[in-house]
Amino acid sequence: MSAIFRLVLRTQFTKGRAAALGSVAIVGVLLAVAVRRLDSFTRPDHAYDLVQAYGLSLLVPLTSLVFAAAALGDPAEDGTLVYLWRRPLPRWQLALASFGAALCISVPFGVVPTALAAAVTGSGRGIVVGAALASSVAVVAYSGLFLALGLVVRRALIWGLAYVLIWEGFVARSGTGPARLSVLVYARSLLASRAGHKAPALSASMPVSLIVPLVVGLAAVALTAWLLRRLDVR
Amino acid sequence: MTDSPTIVVDNVSKWFGSVVALSDVSCSVGPGMTALLGPNGAGKSTLLRVLCGLTPPSKGAVTILGHGPRDHLAVAAHVGLVPQQEALFDPLRAVEFVALAAELNRMPSPGQAAVDALELVDLDPDDSRPVSTYSKGMRQRVKVAQALVHNPSVVLLDEPLEGLDPRQRLRMITLFRRLADQGRTVLVSSHILDEVERFGSRVLVIAQGRLAAEGDFHEIRELMDDRPHRLRVGTDLPRVVAAGVLASGAATGAWVQGADSIVVDTVDVGLFRRSIASVARDGGARLTSVVPMDDDLESVFRYLVGRR
Repeated sequence: MSAIFRLVLRTQFTKGRAAALGSVAIVGVLLAVAVRRLDSFTRPDHAYDLVQAYGLSLLVPLTSLVFAAAALGDPAEDGTLVYLWRRPLPRWQLALASFGAALCISVPFGVVPTALAAAVTGSGRGIVVGAALASSVAVVAYSGLFLALGLVVRRALIWGLAYVLIWEGFVARSGTGPARLSVLVYARSLLASRAGHKAPALSASMPVSLIVPLVVGLAAVALTAWLLRRLDVR
Repeated sequence: MTDSPTIVVDNVSKWFGSVVALSDVSCSVGPGMTALLGPNGAGKSTLLRVLCGLTPPSKGAVTILGHGPRDHLAVAAHVGLVPQQEALFDPLRAVEFVALAAELNRMPSPGQAAVDALELVDLDPDDSRPVSTYSKGMRQRVKVAQALVHNPSVVLLDEPLEGLDPRQRLRMITLFRRLADQGRTVLVSSHILDEVERFGSRVLVIAQGRLAAEGDFHEIRELMDDRPHRLRVGTDLPRVVAAGVLASGAATGAWVQGADSIVVDTVDVGLFRRSIASVARDGGARLTSVVPMDDDLESVFRYLVGRR
């Protein structure tokens, strides 16, 4: 399993991706520097907005999407999956190793910059812990979901962006039903709860916000293993 | 050969939507070398993919070493596959790529196994370049190395000589024959008749998704050579020449095609070529051309499919 983990890390962590997502992360930290210069009265609200609007809504899902969707999606697309699939290796190990590798890359590019940006705003320990916790939980859910998505559809990047930008950005805000299918809603609830911020209009309780994304992430990994068993490998 | 088959294909069909890639294919393959011959698009790669479990058959069943290749993961440890696609894990060096295969096959010393496998295909294990910089022939040999690194008892090779220069082809054929001589089941696909002849093997001929012929290469070669041939003969007196070739017995049929040619069917091209000149001379006709109309491999396969 560790061989696949190392392979996915090596093939997916390219200079181009690192540069692109690193730039997005740096922009978040620079915005945090700007927030820090605001007066202490409005700073916490702006810090919260920055973390939830930039970190949780953009950086974390984008990072997870780029790496998780490609972890198995790229090999399935270019035909190299055959070199992993045709081995005496349980499919769940292939899914889990790919998921682990995607997480390992997404954490430094998604979770760390989000928590760092929260810290740079100088708005207290609560928002830093909230940003770290919410982005960590979100990255698990997104990575699992996008890992499976990469196997199911071609151009997973576009489908993933559609989910992040359209579903989470607009549809999930329309009511409780769609909101339940949004990772962002749970992450935002966690952030608000830990940062001592007023709960968003559509939110979930702390335990639910913590458990649901983790369960979704792991269920998606199990789904990926099932998909791998049924896959028509090129 | 079929006394102790390691691969059994039982009435297998495979379709993708409305496209039938394999139709009721049944055969068995035992230890030794077997060539899977057929034109491009005949269904060779699909059959190999079904054999490896990469895709399930739409109908029928396949077993390798007595088990379904898709259901029994353990079968994979005994099978080496050289797939048709060229893509490799580009950032890896050849030795890393092959060691990965060894590690995933739970070899005790993946690094050493990779070195041995690369030397087997004449590649330098110490080459520091990533496989993305390799030529097509080198990439092909890396694919062969990763297929052999775990000493499989069944080796499936999909067009393994593609991209190799003549010297490499010869060495690779020698390697495959050596594997077969060791008692392994080696199934090699090719669309090149002469290439298959050099394997000196049992042959499965597949065309239009169906098993067109199977048996010893030389028997099949004779079958191909004995088939009716169709030729176009250019002449200024087509009726005279048509009557002459029919009367001489060199042709089984002759049709006038316009003012300057005829089409003839013959089962003996040699006899026809020897007779046509005297027929023309005796009839006072001038010959301008004698062109075979169905000498391509595709038509040979079509003939084999038609006669089953």
